[in-house]
Amino acid sequence: MTLGLAKYQHLAVSFLGRGALRYERLRQEAKLKRKGSWKSERFAPPLSTSPRLKELISLHYLKGRTADERGPVAWVTSGAPVEFLVALGYYVLYPENHGAVCGIRRVSEKISVHAEDAGYSRDLCSYARTDIGAALSGETPVGRLPRPDLLVACTNICQTVLLWYQVLAAHFRVPLVIIDTPFLYGEATERDIDFVRKQIEEAVAVAERVAGRSLSESRLMQVTRRSKEATELWLKVMETGKAKPAPITAFDEFIHMAPIVEMRGEQFTVDYYRAMLQELEARVRQGSGAVLRERKRLIWDNLPIWPRVRWLSEKLADRGVSLVASTYTNAWGELADLVDPEHPLESAAKVYLHPILNRGTGHKLATMEKMVRDYQADGVILHSDRSCKPYSIGQMDQRERLGTAAGVPALLLEADHNDPRSFSEEQAASRLAAFFEVLEA
Amino acid sequence: MAPPNPPLVPRRDEVIRRHRSSGGRLAAVLPIHYSRAVFRAHRMLPVEVWGPPGIDTSPGDAHLQSYTCGIVRSSLAFVLSGGLDVADIIVVPHGCDSLQGLGSVLLDFAKPRQPVATLYVPRGPRSASVVFLAEELRALSRRLSEISGIEPTLDELRQAIAREESADRALADLLDARPHLPFADADFYRVARAREYLPAEDFEPLARAMLAERVAAKRPGIPVVLSGLVPEPMNFLGAVADAGGVIVGDDLACLGRRRYAPGRSDDPWKHLAESLLDAPPDSTRGSSTADRLAWIEKLATDSGAKAVVFYLVKFCEPELFYLPQLRQGLEERGLKSVVIETDIAESLSHQAVTRLEALLESVS
Ligand code: SF4
Ligand code: SF4
Repeated sequence: MTLGLAKYQHLAVSFLGRGALRYERLRQEAKLKRKGSWKSERFAPPLSTSPRLKELISLHYLKGRTADERGPVAWVTSGAPVEFLVALGYYVLYPENHGAVCGIRRVSEKISVHAEDAGYSRDLCSYARTDIGAALSGETPVGRLPRPDLLVACTNICQTVLLWYQVLAAHFRVPLVIIDTPFLYGEATERDIDFVRKQIEEAVAVAERVAGRSLSESRLMQVTRRSKEATELWLKVMETGKAKPAPITAFDEFIHMAPIVEMRGEQFTVDYYRAMLQELEARVRQGSGAVLRERKRLIWDNLPIWPRVRWLSEKLADRGVSLVASTYTNAWGELADLVDPEHPLESAAKVYLHPILNRGTGHKLATMEKMVRDYQADGVILHSDRSCKPYSIGQMDQRERLGTAAGVPALLLEADHNDPRSFSEEQAASRLAAFFEVLEA
Repeated sequence: MAPPNPPLVPRRDEVIRRHRSSGGRLAAVLPIHYSRAVFRAHRMLPVEVWGPPGIDTSPGDAHLQSYTCGIVRSSLAFVLSGGLDVADIIVVPHGCDSLQGLGSVLLDFAKPRQPVATLYVPRGPRSASVVFLAEELRALSRRLSEISGIEPTLDELRQAIAREESADRALADLLDARPHLPFADADFYRVARAREYLPAEDFEPLARAMLAERVAAKRPGIPVVLSGLVPEPMNFLGAVADAGGVIVGDDLACLGRRRYAPGRSDDPWKHLAESLLDAPPDSTRGSSTADRLAWIEKLATDSGAKAVVFYLVKFCEPELFYLPQLRQGLEERGLKSVVIETDIAESLSHQAVTRLEALLESVS
C-alpha cells in the first residue's frame, strides 16, 4: 500500500470510526442520565465517565489498526518506561492490556490455543500465550494489532516478559530493548539506580534510531508532567475507596486502569481521571457506595481473573462485600511522588525500579497490611495465579502472616489471570462461601 | 575392549565433612550463575544445591504453590528439613521468577538458621552490566566477610580466580572431548558434575584423568545433544543409553552453559563479571533465540550429533519459552528433537522413555 493510500484509509477508518464511537458514547451517556434506566439491586449505576472510558480504549485500538502504516510502533511491557516513546511519537501497544481485553471478552483461551498448538506450554503466563497466539494467528477482538518496529521489555514486573519478548523479537525480527531492573530484595542502592538510568539512556538512543528522529527534551518533560499528573489523579481516584461505603471497587478499577497503563503521558488521560475523581468525590459526599448495602470490605491481591471479573464481582456484591482496593491497581499510583518532570530520565530510573512486583515478598505483605488499615478492610483475597509466579510466590506466607500476626482473615483463591481453564466456578464459590462465614463470625 | 574404569569421584558428604574438619566454611549455592572464586578467596567451599532430586517436598508445601518448579520446591524443603544445616550461608543467585521468589521467601518468611544472600545477574549484553555485576560480586564478598572473618586481598582473589579458571578449562576440555571419551554417560556426568561441589584443585585431576582416556574413535551409538537444566533424576541417562543413544554435546544449564572463559579485564571483579556474562547463551540470562539456536547447532555440528533432547524440569518457564522456536530452527537445519518434562522429585515416566526411543529410532 502506498503511504498516500494508507493515510487516506486511516482517515476514512478513523473519521468514521471516531464518529461512530463518539455517537455511541453520547448515546450511553444519555442513557445513564435517564432516570430509572439503572435496575441493578447489587451495584450503584456506573460512573458517567464510563462511556468515555470505552471510547478511549476503542479509539486507542482503532488508531492501532493502521498505526504501523503511519509511524513507529512499539510493543512494551506494562511496567516499562514509556514516556520517551510517547515523546518520540510512537504508537505504544501493551500486549498485556490486549491480553486482558481478550480475557474480558472471553476469547483468551481460543487465541492461546494457537500458541499452544505451536508448542507453547500451558504452564506459561497466559498473557504471553494470548499475545503469542494473536501474533501467530492475527486473531484479536480489536480488529488488528499493528506490527511493532521496536520491542521494549522491562524486567521490573517479572523475568517472564524478557523470555516472552525474545519470542516476539525472533518472530517479528525487530530490535528488542531490554531494561533490566535488579530485583529489590531490600532497598534500592545508588548502583541499582545508576544501572537502570544508563539503560534508559541506551533505550532512548535505540528508539531514536528506529523512529528516525531525536528526542526533544521539552516534549519529554511535557509527557512526564502529564504522566505524573495522571498517576497522582489515579491514586486519588483509588483513595476514594477509603470512604465508607466505598464509591468505587477494585473491580471498577481493573477496568478504569486501562488509560493509566497504556495512555500515560497523554492530556486526555489526565482529563479523564480528573473528571472521574470529581464524580467519585461527589458520590462520597452523597454517601453512595459502589456496592449497594456494603457490609464488608476486602482487599484484593494479584491480577484480576479477567474472564470471571463479572461473576466474581456479583458473587461478592450478593453478600454485601465490597472490594475496596487492590495491590495490583495500586501499583500504577503508588509511585507518583517519585516522578520528577524536571529530571525525567533520572527519576524514571527510580520510579521503574520500585513497582511492587520488583520488590520482596515482605514488602508486599507490608503493603497489604497498610492497605487493610488505610481502607478499614475486614480481610484479604489473595488470587493465587497459576501462571503468574512472580506475583504469587510468597502468598502462602503472606496469607499466614495476615491471619496470625495481623488477625486479618485472608483467603487464597486458586485461578489464573487469563486462562479460564484454570478456574473452577464451583470450587471458587465454595471457597468464597466458607470465607464469608469466617468474615461474619 | 572393555571401557576403562572412570575415576573415583569423592561423595559430596565426604567432601563436605573433610572440608569442615579442616576448619573450612561452607556455602550452599542455588542455581545457576555465580563466581566460585569469590567464595574460595574466603576459604569457603561453595556446594551447589540443584533440588536435590527425589526428596520429600512436603516440608515446603506451606510456603510454595504446587505450580512452582521442582528445583525450587525441593530446595526449600531441603532447607527446612535441615538438609543444609551444615552450611554457613545460603546464596540464591537470581536466575528466574521462581528463584527470585525463593530468595525472597527465605529472607522474609522461612528464615533459615544461617544467613541468606542473593546475587543479581543482569540480563542483556551491555557494558553497564559488567560494572553492575562486578559491584554485585564485591557486595557478596563483603557479606561473606561477615561470616569468614576474612577480607581477601586482590592477590588472594586473583589466585583463587586462577585456580578456578584452570578447573574451568579442564571442564571445557572434557565437554569438547565427550564424543571420544569411552565412558558411559552416567559416569561422565558423575565426574563433570563433581564441579558442583569439589574444590577446583580436586576436580581438575579427576577431569584430566578422564581426558587421558581419550580415544580416536567416536563412541558407538546414536549421538545426541542434551539440553535443559539438569540431568536429574540421573536414571534418565540410563534411559538414553538403553535406547541406543550417546550424549555427545551438552547444553545443560548446570554444565555446558557454564563453560566460563576467563574475563578480559585486569580488575579481578570485572574479570569475574565478564566471565559470567560471556558464558554460552542461556535461558536464565534471557539470551536471544538466535544465539541459543546458533549455539546448540554448533554443539551438534562439532560433536556430530543427529538430534537434540530437551530434558526439562516441569514448570520451568525460562526453558519452555524458547522451545517452539528452537525446535523449529533445529528442524530447518535437519536436527530432530524431543522434549521430555519431568518433576525432579519423581522418576522418569514410561511415556517419556517411549518418546525418547521414538526420536532415536527416527534418526538411527
Ligand atoms: S502476568 Fe505475571 S508472569 Fe505474566 S507478564 Fe504479568 S507479571 Fe509477568
Ligand atoms: S528449573 Fe527453571 S524455573 Fe526452576 S529454578 Fe531452575 S530456571 Fe527457575
